[in-house]
This record gives sequence, C-alpha cells and structure tokens, in this order.
Amino acid sequence: MPRVKYRFSVLLLAFLGTINEGVALERLTVENWNASNAKHLLERTGFGSTPEEIHQFSQLSLKDAVDLIVDGPKNRSKKFDDFVHSGVFDVGLDPFPPSRPATTNLAKETGAALGIKVRPDGNRPLQPIVDKFFYWLRASRLETDRVTQWWGQRMLVSDYPLQEKMALFWHGHFATNEDKVRDYRKMLQQLKLFQSEGLGDFRTLMIAVSQNPAMLMFLDAGVNIKSAPNENFAREIVEIFTMGVGHYTEQDVREAARTFTGWNFKGLDFEINTLEHDNDSKTFLGHSGNLDGIDVIDIILEQKVTSEFIAGKIYGFLASQKITDDLKAELGVSLKSKKYELKPFLKDILSSQIFYSSPVLATRIKSPVELVVSTYRKLGLDNLPGTPDFNYTTGRLGQRLMHPPTVAGWSYGRSWITPSLIIQRSNFIHDMLFPDIAFIPWDRYPDGDNSYSILSVHKKVREGLTITDATKADVDYGEAALSNQPDRNEEFNTRFGSYRGWQMAIERVKPIERDLPAINLTDMILNNGIENTEEVVSYFVDRFLSVPLDLSTQKSLSEFLQNEIGTRQISQVAGSLEYPLRMLLHLILSLPEYQLG
Amino acid sequence: MDRRQLLKQAAALAGVALQPAISIGAPLIAPKPRVLVIFELSGGNDGLNTIVPYRDDEYYKLRPSIALPKNKILKIDDEWGMNPGLAGMKQIWDRGDLAIIHGCGYERPSYSHFTSMAYWHTAAPNSGDPYGWVGRTADALAPHAPENYIINIDSSQSLAVQSKYHTPIVFDDPSEFRRIIRNEQLAAIPEIKIESSQANLSLNFLNNIARSATASSLKVRKAWEKYSSPVDYGVFSSQLDKVAACIAAEFPTQIYYVAFRNNAFDTHVHQVNLHERLLTYAADAVRGFLDDMERLGMADNVSLMMFSEFGRRAGENANLGTDHGTANTMFFAGKPVKGGHYGKTPNLLDLNDTDNLKFTTDFRRVYATAIEGWLESQKADDILKGKFQPLPIFT
Repeated sequence: MPRVKYRFSVLLLAFLGTINEGVALERLTVENWNASNAKHLLERTGFGSTPEEIHQFSQLSLKDAVDLIVDGPKNRSKKFDDFVHSGVFDVGLDPFPPSRPATTNLAKETGAALGIKVRPDGNRPLQPIVDKFFYWLRASRLETDRVTQWWGQRMLVSDYPLQEKMALFWHGHFATNEDKVRDYRKMLQQLKLFQSEGLGDFRTLMIAVSQNPAMLMFLDAGVNIKSAPNENFAREIVEIFTMGVGHYTEQDVREAARTFTGWNFKGLDFEINTLEHDNDSKTFLGHSGNLDGIDVIDIILEQKVTSEFIAGKIYGFLASQKITDDLKAELGVSLKSKKYELKPFLKDILSSQIFYSSPVLATRIKSPVELVVSTYRKLGLDNLPGTPDFNYTTGRLGQRLMHPPTVAGWSYGRSWITPSLIIQRSNFIHDMLFPDIAFIPWDRYPDGDNSYSILSVHKKVREGLTITDATKADVDYGEAALSNQPDRNEEFNTRFGSYRGWQMAIERVKPIERDLPAINLTDMILNNGIENTEEVVSYFVDRFLSVPLDLSTQKSLSEFLQNEIGTRQISQVAGSLEYPLRMLLHLILSLPEYQLG
Repeated sequence: MDRRQLLKQAAALAGVALQPAISIGAPLIAPKPRVLVIFELSGGNDGLNTIVPYRDDEYYKLRPSIALPKNKILKIDDEWGMNPGLAGMKQIWDRGDLAIIHGCGYERPSYSHFTSMAYWHTAAPNSGDPYGWVGRTADALAPHAPENYIINIDSSQSLAVQSKYHTPIVFDDPSEFRRIIRNEQLAAIPEIKIESSQANLSLNFLNNIARSATASSLKVRKAWEKYSSPVDYGVFSSQLDKVAACIAAEFPTQIYYVAFRNNAFDTHVHQVNLHERLLTYAADAVRGFLDDMERLGMADNVSLMMFSEFGRRAGENANLGTDHGTANTMFFAGKPVKGGHYGKTPNLLDLNDTDNLKFTTDFRRVYATAIEGWLESQKADDILKGKFQPLPIFT
C-alpha cells in the first residue's frame, strides 16, 4: 500500500526540517517578554482579555504562557454547558430532500415523505408534507442560530480560548453553509469537530472533514458516484483546503474525484457506498494505483506546497497576512517537521520574535465576531447578550457564523472594512451601551429579508380568507375578500406551507434569551481607584485599545467627560457617572484604532 | 435601423468616438466617465416567461397553464414577445437601446440560489474566488483605488464588488448611512489623523476608510436630499433612483451595483401575475432610470446590465409556477447599446437531464462585453481568468 511509503517520506522530511530550521522563527528573548506582549498574545489567540488576565500571564515565563494558551489549563473550569437542543428533529427528516419539488415528487412516488403519509383524499393531500418541509427549513435555521449563540458564549467565557479561535479559523477554512446543509445537527457536529480536533494534527482533521456529513452534504458528495464522478468535492480539497490554485491539473481533479466516489453519509454518520466506489486505477499527482480518498489526502500532505499553504494561512490568521516567501517556506518546514501536529507548530509561531515584531503587533483588523465577543470580554461580561442580537450584528458586519459567503470562506483582513461597515461597527457599540428599545427579535418575526410574505398570509388566514386567496401575493386582501373565489383544488400550497412551517418552528425552537449586556462602567472605574477624568480616559484606552492614542485626543476626550460631569474629580459625582462614561466609551470604541488587535 | 443607430454605426466605421471631442486650446472639460450599472434580479428570474418564444409550440407544451398566450405578449419581432409586464423595456427596445442575450449560463449548473449566485458574483463557476468580478474589474481598471469608484446600494456588500484595492461605498437607505451619535458627543468626536507616515499600515488604511466614510456618508445623504426628478420610476425603484442621485451629484463612480432583493424572483407558485408584477417593477425602474439619464445629459455615458442567478425549469410545476433552472436571458440597456438579439436560443426540445435548458452563451462572455466593450479595458482575460469572446453590443 502506498500509504506506508508516504508516512515514511513525511518522517524523512521531518528530519530534514530540523536541519533547515531557519532564522525567521527565532524565539523571543526572555527580556522582551512583558505585559504588553502578553496582551498581544492573549488578543491574538483568543477574544481579548481583561487587565487581570494580562497581569496573570505576564507573571509567567514566555514558555509557560505559550504552553498554557496552546495546551489549555490542566484543570479546566467548567464554565459552559453543552449545547441544549430544543428537540426540533423528528425521524423522517433525514435524508432531507434537496428541494420542495423533490419532496413532493418523492411523496407522490412513494406515498410518503419526511415521515408523513400522503392523505388518501380531500383537498391538498400533500399539504402536511409541505408544511413539514418548511418547518424543518425554518427550525434548522433557528436552531443553528442557537448553536452560534452557544458558540459565542463559549468564545466569551472559555478558559481555553485558542480552542474556539482555531475552531473559528477552521470554520472559515472548511467553509460550510447551513443554507445548503439544512441540518443544524450536522453543523453542530462539524463545529464540535473543529473544537475537538482543531488543535490536533492536520491529517486527522483533513480526513475527518472529508468524512464529515455537513461537508459531504455541502459539496454534493451524494452525487459523486462511479458512473458520474462529481468534481466539486475533490476540487475544493485540492484547491481551497490544501494546496491552493495552480499546483495540480484538471486531470488530477478528475482523478481525485474518482477516489472519493461512493463517499457519503447516512444521518450523522460517514458511510462508503462500496457499489458506487471506483476501484480502477487512478493517477493523482504522479502516483498511480487503486487509490482511495485517504491515499489522495496523504499524497497531498506530502507536497511541500501543502504544508506551506496551511502554515501560511494559520500564520496569516494569527499573526499577519503580510508574509514573505522565505517565511512561508520556513513555516511550511516547521509544520511538516511536526508531522502536521498543530500544537507544537503554534508554539513555534507564538514564541517567535516575529510574532511580537512591529509589523505584526496591533496590525490585525478584528473580524466582526472577534470585535463583538472581545468587546464583551473586555467589559468583563460573563453572558453573551441576546440584545443586540449576536447573529444579526455579526451578519450585518459581514461574518454570520454558519453562513460563510462561499466555499472560499471569509477573506479576513481589510475586506472586513467598508465605509458603511466602519460606521456599523460604531453603531454596534452604541446599541450595546444604549439599548435599542425598538428591537424586535428578527428570528421570530417574519419581516425583512426572509419574510416570504408570511405576515400577509398570516393576516389573511386570520381574516377567514381561503388558502387560495390568502396566499395570492399580488392580491391585497380587500380585493381578495370581494372576489370571493372558491378555494382552489390542488395537491398542496407552497406559500401556505411556508407560513405553517414558520408557526410550527417557533413553537418548538427554544427562544434566544433577549437579555441586555450587564455593563457597569461606574464600578469598573471606581473599583480601580481612578480619581480624575484624565485617568478615566487613559484607563479605557489601556483596557480596550491595542495601539496608543495620541495625547491631544486623550486630552480632548477627558475634557469632554469633565464637561459632561461638571468636575475633574470623579468621586464627587459617583452616582451620576454611568451615562457620561458610556458616551465616552462609545467615542473611544468608535475610533479606527479600536478595530485593531 | 433608426437614425441614431445609423449615426452610431457611421461613427464606429469612421473610428471616431461618440464622446464630444476635445480640441487643443479649447477649455478643458474632463470627459464624462463611462458608467456601468449592474442590476441583479435575485431569486432566479423566469427567462422563458420574460422573453417569450411565442413561435415555439414546445413552449406551450411545456407550460400548458402558465405559458403566456400570443395575444397577451408584447411582440417585438416574428419570434419573440415580451412579458406584458415589460412595457417599460419594450420602449427601450423600440428605441434600439436594448440588447437581449439568450441562453446565458455555465457548465455543470448549480440549482442552489446561494451557490449559483456566488458563481455569478465571482465569475468562477464550480470554483471559488475571494474577490468579485466587479471588484476585480475595478482593481484592473483603477489599481490606485480612487475614492467612490464602486457604489453598491444594498443592506450588505455584495460578493460581486469585493475588491482587493477598492473600498466600495455600500449603503442601503441613504438617510441611515450615518453614525448613531448623541448630540452631546458631536463636538467631541476625535478628528482622524491625516498623516500617513505612521508605521502601522493597517491603521493608515482604517483612517482612510473612516475619513471616506465620514465624507461619503455625508455626500450620499446630501446627494439624496438634493435629488428630485420628474421621472417616474414606477412603484418600486429598486435603488436605481439612488444611483441617479449619485450620478446627478457627479460622483466619480464608474460601477454601480444594485439588486432586486429578497429572492423576489423565486416564483415557485402562482407565478403568472406575480412574475408580471415583478417584471413591471424592474422594467419601469430601468426605463425610468434611462429617462433620468437622458434628462441629466448622461444617456451616452451609462449602460445597464441585468442578470439573475439562474433561469427556471423549462416545464411548469404542479403549483402554477416554475422551479430552479439553468440558462437565462441577460440584458444590456442604454443609449450606447446596439439593440437586438445576441447569443443562440436554447433548444426546448433538447433539455438536459434535469429538464433544463442547455446554455449556449457562457455568462462570462457578457461580463467580458461589459469590461472590454463598454469599460474599454483589455484586461477581461485576467479579470475573468480565461478567454471569453465579448459580444458586439458596443461596437
């Protein structure tokens, strides 16, 4: 079997790697390890930190700090519970047909679909099946929002934030969208894979992902069969997941697709349909034989370009997107020499001089999820607020979890920022500090982008209109009432189904608690022994920003505060500080500087 | 062929541009830029019921309940008729300013809105690209990224305009393109530093965006407040009036991107009236927009391209609607456009394995037409990552 041979070559290269250890990853010297570097380390490997955490880490040696971050605490404090399912899944919903027409066709051919039998007689005999179809679309999406809320909570309170941070990295790398997967259970399963294996070794992760039901669903594995190989899955594996464009031929993609034929899933389990697997000889990147998917992954891992691509991307995520070819090559050697083990590789990066050099420090633009979670974390919150809505806010800013824009994931870096998005970032801070009392839970109220005329159907059904009239989108209901048309005889009504499905979904999906951020800036200031307005400004700047703020700006901000509270000495007005402090913090966290971490 | 068409052709033959010539010594007036407006119909517009092949019996066989009868359509020639909702487009056609491109699509089509739209946005079917084709076009045409080069009017930025160098101005409601701020804070907003000498390049970038956000949000709001037009855009302007407001305010924008949103064209059920109404909105808005350009003296400088992520199934479904399909018609509208039919019509008797139309024109040829034919760049091959022959719509 070729697999043995590849393992051997990896070992051989690992040996060469140690000889070629370069200079770029030289370790930071002991005397350069300090509180400001500890802050940087915590910022990049997690979701921001409080002054207390920074102090704690700066007391450790660099090695101990990096070990603690990468390996996690020995005794983990259990700060969060496992995801609590609402219980929305029913037997019969999996496999879920790819579309409503596919569902109704299945029902017509077999007499049942989604676990429901076609009614023997009467108008709209397929209606309950159509209702159920839309129920699951909606319920899965709402439950996915609860999954991301749960994930956000983990990011906020975890004592092992790198685990969540790398899960976020892999979620963007192995981008999978619930819109197509249509099953929150598979999305949750994939997230848990990223959380548990995201710091393991890349080979294990890569194989697990290529056998992961959400991914197989997302990349149409079901239609990749011996008689008609589908290249979608193989192409993403070679292109987006491992090597990048230009390191393989179209013929390689076609051959790789053949090695993955028959790879499929049943429910939440990986399954190889041996009858659909192509057992003939294939040739991939110069290797021939009866290769299967794992052989292909091993051949890919053997390529120099793969270790460079993955190492460079991780470095780009944690350190800087500015990366020279030399550094990329050296990172590739490091990753490969560690046999794709991520923990020792990450320790190399996080202990290196370059990680703490000025082209890296405070130059990274926080992603929307990082911005939101780290703001809460820096405020000392221990509960991810339900208002502002986490999914809506991060989505509006360009990073809705479980809904990456394409298979290529998010672009990160400068792409997070547009003129309107920088304004939206400031507006998020505003709505966090000054609650929007007009807030409507968008997941329960069918308005806006995904409304599908549900409110109008709802209204008309309650007014006693026939389903036919109630679902005619182009008839306003006064007109429909007058026309008094008899209800149309039909197999089902799609629009009514989407209305009914919405009702059934909100009945069963647990609501997200709409609690507001528990912010108390007055206590934060007074408990830190701060006496005057200048100290308030410099405390906020130190606590929230990663870059220094020039003194003239600090001075004008402290004058603003002094003007608002009527004195320089804050202890005199302790009881009326909160509102002015929030206005001040809004100004500071709206600065371009605050987008950097 | 009308008179203007003749003039256009004569001009093309003589090798002279239609833009007013600038003679040396005369006062220098900067030539007005060529503006491309992209209008996305989201949800999958039903191409067969948009431009109807009323001579084709197969069309009526495939759609016994929802085919548009010959006496209802707006006939444009011996073969084709428009959906009655397209009265506005018919006017544009009659002026010789509408190009209809048939059979646009790509190999191995995706039937998912999300996936197919991403393919159209990135011009990378069955593949991926972090940048959109509009963004890449802007990067190729103006790598130094002048301000306000791309405007995308929507609630979130389209992947199509995602660019390496440019920061598209993205807004939805101009009056909401503003920072929420309390009155007490106004005087205290820190001024953003202009010096770009600092070592932190990311901070320089952010400062630039923040400045341009402050400036452009105000400009956009002012443009919108100042804009008023006697032109009727119909019931639903699809943001095209906001594009006109920016053009009227002489924005330096080369590419505008707007969308008929919310998957509106996803007509699975009872589609005939609904579809006609949607097309009325779209067509009236386009006609209104072009009339407005005429009023503003910009008609020779603006072309509009219209597309959807896929067409719909050739045959009707059980709900008097149609399901997701493949090949579709695309449009170019505007005075610079050489009106007529382009591309080959898909054969209704030769459908693919999912009973869908087989595409005849790679949609990237239409993008190449926009890039080479209209925006006059020779870089379409680089931008689209392949050779795609432009159509002679702007010759």
